[in-house]
Amino acid sequence: MRNEIREQRRQRGLSQAELAAALGVSRQTVISIESGRYLPSLPLAFTIARFFGLTVDKMFDPDEEEAGT
Amino acid sequence: MMTFIPPRLRKPAWTALAGLLFAGAWLVHGGHLWWVSIMAVIATAASVARVYRLGGQDTDEGARAGSRADERQQLVSVRSRALACNLAAVASFIGLTAAIAVRAAWGWPFLVILLITGFGYLLGLGNYGVAEEGTPDEADTGRQARPPVS
Repeated sequence: MRNEIREQRRQRGLSQAELAAALGVSRQTVISIESGRYLPSLPLAFTIARFFGLTVDKMFDPDEEEAGT
Repeated sequence: MMTFIPPRLRKPAWTALAGLLFAGAWLVHGGHLWWVSIMAVIATAASVARVYRLGGQDTDEGARAGSRADERQQLVSVRSRALACNLAAVASFIGLTAAIAVRAAWGWPFLVILLITGFGYLLGLGNYGVAEEGTPDEADTGRQARPPVS
């Protein structure tokens, strides 16, 4: 499942550690989600989408595979 | 009880408790092996220090040791524990089977472990599975289950 987290984070000039702190998760988890190795729970997916001001379906695309995974 | 202990001290506290119980058992055992309890206390102190130091690191292991694991880290931990339990059950089954085959008297600990893991599995199903199914909505009562929309 492809997601927009890395692009959105970079657009806002945030580091992975800063995003992790804002979402209340670890930096390692942000890395795992960005690379598509870990699919977040529904509550966390909503938290991420709300943080970036987007909807969950804009943030996560189930029809596209993450590149390199 | 654990909520009164700061997160970073929880795992070290459990490690200390387990180590001191083990040391206490050797002390009660007495005899010429009483010194093992001293060694156990030293090993426990070293383990507590190691777990506390690990809890301060910015890694998955550090998060678990510091009791601040997020959902992914907790999931990894749960999966690891499930794997460990599966291995324990398989090893116990092999041990019990071997003990029966050679008519050995040392088979009962394997049986105990096998029974405990089996009971734990059923307890897990009861707590996390069947008990959380809930009751069907009134409108669904008597209806056959439909396949999910594809």
